[in-house]
Amino acid sequence: MKSDKPFTPDPKRFEVSKATLWFDRMMGWGIRFGGIAVIVAVFGIFYFIGKEVMPLFHAGEVQKSTTVQSDTKPLVLGVDEWGELPFFYSGGSKVVFVDAKTNQRSELEIPGFADLKITAISYDVVKSRVSIGLEDGRVGSFLVNYQRAFENGEAKGVIPEIKTEPWFELKAGTGPVTKIAYGDSGDSRIIVAKREFEGTRTVEVLRLGMKGGLIGGKTLKLLSETDITSEIDGDITMIRASQDGQIILVANDKGEVAYLLAEGSGVSKRQTFTPFAGSPLAEMDFLFGGVSAILTAEDGTQQQWSLYRVTEDAERMFGMTKEFPNIGPEPKTFAKSQRNRTFITGAGRKLSIRHSTSGATRWEGELDIDPVALTLDAKGQSFWVASANGEAQKFAVDDHHPDAGMQAFFGKVWYEGGAGPIYQWQSTGGTDDFEAKLSLMPLIFGSLKGTTYALLFSVPVALLAAVFSAAFLPPAVKQIVKPTMEIMTSLPSVVLGFLAGLWLAPILEDRVPSVLMMVIFIPTTALIVGYFWCRTPLAFRNRFAGGFEWAIVIPFLALAAYTGWSLGPVIEKIFFVYTEPGTGKQIADFRLWWPQATGTSFQQRNSLVLGFIMGFAVIPVIFTISEDALSNVPKNLTAAASALGANRWQVLWSVMLPIASSGIFSALMIGFGRAVGETMVMVMATGNTPIMEWNLFSGMRTLAANIAVELPEAPVGSTHYRTLFLGAVVLFAMTFVMNTIAEVLRQRLREKNKLV
Amino acid sequence: MSKPAKKSQKPFATTGRSRKGEPLVWLTAGGLAIGVIMALGLLLLILVKGTASFWPKRIELFELQRGDQVEKMAGYITEIQTRKDPTGKEIDEVQIFRANKDLNGEAFLYVDAKDIVSRSTPKNILLIERLTYGPAIGYPVAITTKEGRIESNDQKFSSSLRSTLESNEEIRKQLLQIERKQIGRVSAAIEQSGYDEKAKRITPEQATTQRAELQKEFEKLKAKADALYAKMRETSLIYRVADDREKSLESGQLLAVFASNDHGFFGRLGETFRRAWHFLSEDPREANMEGGVFPAIFGTVVMTLAMSLFVTPFGVIAAIYLREYAKQGLLVRIVRVSVNNLAGVPSIVFGVFGLAFFVYVVGANIDQAFYSEKLPTPTFGTPGILWASLTLALLTLPVVIVATEEALSAVPRGVREAALACGASKWQTIQRVVLPASLPGILTGVILAMARGACEVAPLMLVGVVKLAPSLAIDGVAPFIHAERKFMHLGFHIYDLGFQSPDAEAAKPMVYATALLLILVVVILNLTAILIRNRLKKRFAVSSF
Repeated sequence: MKSDKPFTPDPKRFEVSKATLWFDRMMGWGIRFGGIAVIVAVFGIFYFIGKEVMPLFHAGEVQKSTTVQSDTKPLVLGVDEWGELPFFYSGGSKVVFVDAKTNQRSELEIPGFADLKITAISYDVVKSRVSIGLEDGRVGSFLVNYQRAFENGEAKGVIPEIKTEPWFELKAGTGPVTKIAYGDSGDSRIIVAKREFEGTRTVEVLRLGMKGGLIGGKTLKLLSETDITSEIDGDITMIRASQDGQIILVANDKGEVAYLLAEGSGVSKRQTFTPFAGSPLAEMDFLFGGVSAILTAEDGTQQQWSLYRVTEDAERMFGMTKEFPNIGPEPKTFAKSQRNRTFITGAGRKLSIRHSTSGATRWEGELDIDPVALTLDAKGQSFWVASANGEAQKFAVDDHHPDAGMQAFFGKVWYEGGAGPIYQWQSTGGTDDFEAKLSLMPLIFGSLKGTTYALLFSVPVALLAAVFSAAFLPPAVKQIVKPTMEIMTSLPSVVLGFLAGLWLAPILEDRVPSVLMMVIFIPTTALIVGYFWCRTPLAFRNRFAGGFEWAIVIPFLALAAYTGWSLGPVIEKIFFVYTEPGTGKQIADFRLWWPQATGTSFQQRNSLVLGFIMGFAVIPVIFTISEDALSNVPKNLTAAASALGANRWQVLWSVMLPIASSGIFSALMIGFGRAVGETMVMVMATGNTPIMEWNLFSGMRTLAANIAVELPEAPVGSTHYRTLFLGAVVLFAMTFVMNTIAEVLRQRLREKNKLV
Repeated sequence: MSKPAKKSQKPFATTGRSRKGEPLVWLTAGGLAIGVIMALGLLLLILVKGTASFWPKRIELFELQRGDQVEKMAGYITEIQTRKDPTGKEIDEVQIFRANKDLNGEAFLYVDAKDIVSRSTPKNILLIERLTYGPAIGYPVAITTKEGRIESNDQKFSSSLRSTLESNEEIRKQLLQIERKQIGRVSAAIEQSGYDEKAKRITPEQATTQRAELQKEFEKLKAKADALYAKMRETSLIYRVADDREKSLESGQLLAVFASNDHGFFGRLGETFRRAWHFLSEDPREANMEGGVFPAIFGTVVMTLAMSLFVTPFGVIAAIYLREYAKQGLLVRIVRVSVNNLAGVPSIVFGVFGLAFFVYVVGANIDQAFYSEKLPTPTFGTPGILWASLTLALLTLPVVIVATEEALSAVPRGVREAALACGASKWQTIQRVVLPASLPGILTGVILAMARGACEVAPLMLVGVVKLAPSLAIDGVAPFIHAERKFMHLGFHIYDLGFQSPDAEAAKPMVYATALLLILVVVILNLTAILIRNRLKKRFAVSSF
């Protein structure tokens, strides 16, 4: 039966239901949103890491916060660690305090100071000690201590307290004390004082110590007195004593500085130096730590002098390590930080915050008063300046990373105690006054060294294997061999690191000559076997299918390896004989011979072990990518070459390799990225010493290992923490650049092959 | 079939000029040979060393020349090294494991091979596994129980030893139940009541009574546990070491005994399996150097699964967006190159980010908002398993994105067009045609991501792994899932045992065993991925036209 009516479908059949369309649109937007969000989140990582690093490169910021009036001409200006209650002392029996918030003035009486004639004053900011010299030749001091007051568990103001210490009489000379310096390391202290009377002057060093019986507290006792008058020439303008109570610097009007050392029971002059070619000094003070001093000349030239040994067995002497920009000829002010190597130096109204490690000027500005005194609080968050009429201003300092900066991270820095500028990484030390050495160069060097040795071994192996696999291996065998090589990817790096450090390193330690022999023997054997193989009769060779050379060669290589391994000790006896310096005894031991012959060290966990083990991590990466590049060379090209009479090596050499070269190059780049970022092997097999030498038999400390080892211990937000982040950024940049080049090359190769 | 084709190639039929380059071909063959040997050799090494760490070795009795005396010692040789004496002569040095750390101080002894006067394998010598001081080696003498003393030559000795071991096992199980579960619950409740009081949810009086009750309960449980401990102290094993010193070991200390020399191959094989099982199922003891790695396995598995839960949806959505929705232009190309690049970014960089962002920013804010009563003790503001799995999810995201994209693009265009022609909407096409077809590819990507995530250690060191985490991330105490807890990990276990344990030599067997386990996990994951990939290829071979 046939219907005449043509079939007209219901038009509604073609209408998509609203729900479907709605759902489709929702999913579309959902996926767009989700996809973009994921991609943004991934790139957010680098924004975030960058954000953590940025504060390292910010200059210091200074903000004027309050002005107070003390109505006292401050000879000494000091402040509590929170910068809230500065004190002013102008000689006399009272100390004036002014509250920074309320501008309220208060006074504290110093017990027993009522009738004293004070002729010399100095202030030691580290211990908050004002040392006093009197007209009658006595010396002493008082301390201004602050305590935090709490109300309902919240900090509320500070309470000052004054503590006096006993007086000591100077034995040498007569007349009033005109200069005084106090050095205090807790239990042992020194006072250096100068007396002057009718043109004759004496300088004396008092050594004090805390002594006491079993019952009762310790009391301060005089241990010894040394008259050092004859040691110093000229008119003394400044005396400074270091915080460890051992080093004394005395400057005279001829611009000479004498360095005296209080050691054992005596005090003796060790050195006299002339920092500014004879022009007199305007300011001189030790930096925090007490091994460096900042010297400023009248004209504003500023230098840092540090104690260091020129050669390893020389005595520590002062030498100039840095020069700072000229601050200006006006009257000088100076204050040092109590937590790092920051100092503030001023000339007239101009102030400059500087950091001695990096030599950088962190901030510079002008005041609107003429300062006579300057002090920095213990936390380094604010400084105070005071003018002669008693007006004082507080400035908030926002400078969290004074020791950071391009110069500190990537340049050579002359650290305290060093004999010259160097690259060094040493982020933490045992003491509070430790100077952090944050140069990333040794770590970058370590990363590059590790990578180089890793690639030196793995690139030849991986490329040779890839070439054979792509060009000569029968497809059926390739299906087994290729995954076998790729199984190396699944070896966790922590297992590799453990094998390197605990299994291979002890084995290779005393078999270095054997390894060297093997490195020579194995490739030569492969070549020799090939040379003789193609000279065997054709009938014999034709019995074997092609592509099994890799299996045939294995026994020969094993033989070569065994021969090399056993020949090692023989070679060692001939070439690597160590002569004991004392006895002249001859010992065949590479481990001893190497340091003697080259002057570099031999370590068990060295680059040789590392290079071999890193092969397991790097070979599969390079192998897979370059094998793909070679395999994807269009068949018609290789077939054409064969048809023209090229043998299989010629096909490979003149057709496949040139075409795949960019792919191979990209494989190398990615292999590099893999090696640079490898962490666990580097942590476990390199010894982790940040040294900078290409020595094959020493270790290294790489960026990645350094982060893994140090970051869990670094306080959040500290310079150290952020510097480790900077290390991560450097690492990321290195790999990202390499990977991008590789990726671009690979895409180009793909297009090239398409055209063909 | 393929054989004549191969024959016809005649690749060795090279003479005269065409011999050129042939040695170089052999050099490349050498390269491949070295690569294959390296891969298989290392796997074999780990396999052998890992399995050997469970194999009960024959215990030998050595007579050693010590000065002018001959000393007896029981143990087994673990390593023979050659050492150079000061004159450069090579000497064989033997490392002997003699156990009995409590008597000798050191579990290992190094002697020159020439000093070994005689070696024998006496019967009836036991390797005794103990709770502390590592194993002991000695001849059994007697068992003392409440009822009396049973000498080792008594017929009842071995059955009594066995029953002691069994009852020990039972008591230890009960103790575990009491100490972990019940006491754990009580102390968690005490802690919670403190927080409740601080947050003023309950009055101080309520809190005091609550805590007094809990304290009572705690005392009761403690007494119960003490009774069990006392029961284990009733019995002890007396043994005699090779130099005739006698030692008594409380049965509470006794874990297992095995007389290796009295068993044949199958007996020792059985012991191997028993040891392997204990290694897999027990908690570590003695600075991780003895016992098992169960918490580490658990931590690795939970962390990896959590990671794949995070990474799969996000990776797949991002890939669908890039492949199906985004306009294919320069921008998408740049994004694609960058995502590819991310796969090459060092893992430690992700760890750095995880620590700074997840722990110190997100975690600290969660603490401020929800756990303020516990501050300053951080809850989420400290490294933990949640942050670790999120960090690894980020690390493996590129792997999943790339694999999914490849899988999506491999779906033939014809299939999509057919679906669209049938009137399916874009999403319907993706949901019902494209995604099912690319599922194996996506799965491969996820498994590869898991394999990569399971063996990463460096970032974990920053975001939550610890050497010993007594409580697991999932347990029977409410709220059952503790995402903030720190965890143990097989990879980190290797690092910790090998490089931070007090006795690296004694820890070596454990390290090899753990390494074997980790490699097995990763290889199995990778093989699964390869299998799925191969099946996927076949499927498309059929569907393409």
